[in-house]
Amino acid sequence: MTTLSETDDQAPPAEPSPPPADTHGSQVGGKSDLDIGSGQTRMEVAYGAGDGDDDAKAVVAQKASLGVLFEQVYRPWNGTLGPRWVRNYAIFRHHVYGLFRGKGHRHYNPFVRLAILVIFLGSLTPIAMIFLSVTISGGEGADFLNRMWGVNRYNLWGQVLGYFPRNLCMWPLLTALVVGGMISDDRKNGTSAIYFSRPVTRTDYTAMKYLSAAVVLGFVIVFSYMLYYASSIVFNGEGWAFLIDTLPYFLGGLLAGILLVVTYTSIGMALSSVSQSRFFAAIGFLAIIFGTKVVALMIEMIFGTTMFYILSPYDSLAHVGQWLVGIPANYEHPLAFSVISVLIFNAASIGLLVSRVSSLEVTRE
Amino acid sequence: MSSNSTPAVLIDHCSKWYGQVIGLNDVSLAIDGGVTGILGPNGAGKSTLFKLLMGRLKPSSGSVRLFGIDPWEDTAPYRRVGYVAETEKLYDWMTGHDFVSTLARLHGMTRDEASERASHVLEFVGLGDVQNKEIGKYSKGMRQRVKIAHALVHDPDLIILDEPLHGCDPIARTSIMSVIRDLGSQGKTVLVSSHILDEIERITEQIVILHNGRLLALGNLHAIRDLLDKHPHRILIRTEDPRALAASFVPEDPVYGVRFAQEGALEILTNDLSAAHTILPRVIFESGLKVTSIENPDDNLDALLGYLVGGDS
Repeated sequence: MTTLSETDDQAPPAEPSPPPADTHGSQVGGKSDLDIGSGQTRMEVAYGAGDGDDDAKAVVAQKASLGVLFEQVYRPWNGTLGPRWVRNYAIFRHHVYGLFRGKGHRHYNPFVRLAILVIFLGSLTPIAMIFLSVTISGGEGADFLNRMWGVNRYNLWGQVLGYFPRNLCMWPLLTALVVGGMISDDRKNGTSAIYFSRPVTRTDYTAMKYLSAAVVLGFVIVFSYMLYYASSIVFNGEGWAFLIDTLPYFLGGLLAGILLVVTYTSIGMALSSVSQSRFFAAIGFLAIIFGTKVVALMIEMIFGTTMFYILSPYDSLAHVGQWLVGIPANYEHPLAFSVISVLIFNAASIGLLVSRVSSLEVTRE
Repeated sequence: MSSNSTPAVLIDHCSKWYGQVIGLNDVSLAIDGGVTGILGPNGAGKSTLFKLLMGRLKPSSGSVRLFGIDPWEDTAPYRRVGYVAETEKLYDWMTGHDFVSTLARLHGMTRDEASERASHVLEFVGLGDVQNKEIGKYSKGMRQRVKIAHALVHDPDLIILDEPLHGCDPIARTSIMSVIRDLGSQGKTVLVSSHILDEIERITEQIVILHNGRLLALGNLHAIRDLLDKHPHRILIRTEDPRALAASFVPEDPVYGVRFAQEGALEILTNDLSAAHTILPRVIFESGLKVTSIENPDDNLDALLGYLVGGDS
């Protein structure tokens, strides 16, 4: 057999080599370590360029290792499976922890995480302004800053329910980003089957998804509100008198914030449950929040009535919030209408959510 | 095997209608322990059966019980059930280990238990060395095996596998079959569906055959095969001279006829497939003719179904 790389016209004729032990084997490129007989495999590839006479090459795979069958040992598990709350907590943490860590949790796009961070930092700007007013204490500047961002009924209401920038740019966008894919992703990818082939009821599935979305929104909206109030006390060195004076409307604002989180989550989750795309769920949410407000605003401008603001979830919440914090209402229609509107928005959204989740993975019923 | 006297799967006169279309027609089954193959062509009712078992469909009539509990009403039996859906999607961004351990936690395991158990089942299905690789980078066979791993992570008593070999390469098929056989030998109840008889034959001898929503046959594969063997059979032999080879076969006992259905091919008709295969090598050798292939066109599920429903095989 010719050894291509070692062919030399000047060399004396070599002694005939012994015949190969295995006729299937070959010795190419000076390598003779192919051992086909023992069951090992090889791959042989030859190729050339140009006319192929001068630098003909052969490339041969090195000795292949034997295939290894994996050891198949099944060990039964004798542990005790946790109760319902343990399973529910697993669903909850899977969705919430995904915001901070990708490993083992729900996947959030890095841009979504960044947007949430920016919104959260944006919601903390009043704290920075209070801090600034303290550092430049005295003078008109400090007074202006305190008036604009210091704790009072209007600012507490505005921290949660102010239209610009919070309810125009921040909270609806935050909700759309967090809630949009909560259920629509499962609908699109069929991953709800992962839950429903386990001892997870549809109620648990829905409740935990809802809770995880609400907690993320609550962290940004409600927690930033609480931080704002607390930082004002700390930075200004306020005492018990301030606390007693402001606590009632702080609690009113807190309740308004929770109502906002619940209502936005309900509407967002309902839209996510009817869609197979997180994009359309998110856009649908923004359309409802902004669209209803624009329609109500146009009707007010044309007909001079605020009644149609009850169609706008934001305005209904804002109206209720004004009552809770104790500031004059911007709306002429009775408060009861807005309260009923908020209740209906929540009830209808949760009803839709529940009915859609009931049909998940249940085919052709 | 289920720990009490109720079988793992009990289906009693169960029917499922989709409007005017019948998905499952008065099926009664009781299965407990070992591997059972659910066979049937596409549209036979295999997926309907599994959806009923997994509580995704409500029976139109009759009842379905897993460990004695109605899965439509109560998810409790799923603590003891592992399910591999045919088209189930996975979380592609997760590693195999993260995925399986996350799902273990949905069963109520602690973090350490879930992690340890995930590693074990991934080793069991042969994915130990790639368990820290993202699922999105897995091959089809590896994805199927990770699905089996997540179904096994809580050590279920009943494992339901819907077409687990679908789309897998031969190596993946072999390893998955090996996993399924091993689970059956552990005493677990394993239901595995396929529309390919050979696949099931390599896994189990206990089969259920569905056709058009009806239960056609239930029992040992060999017993059903024997029925098939008594049915007229064909053996297709491709050779250079079919007529000369036919002359050699005609005097043989098991052969009752020959046919030249295709050019360069001889079709032998027999009532006893085993006997015909016994004489085959001798007759071919004695004829001295070159034979390029020998096929059994009737040795498939269609033929078996054809026989069972009384049509042509």
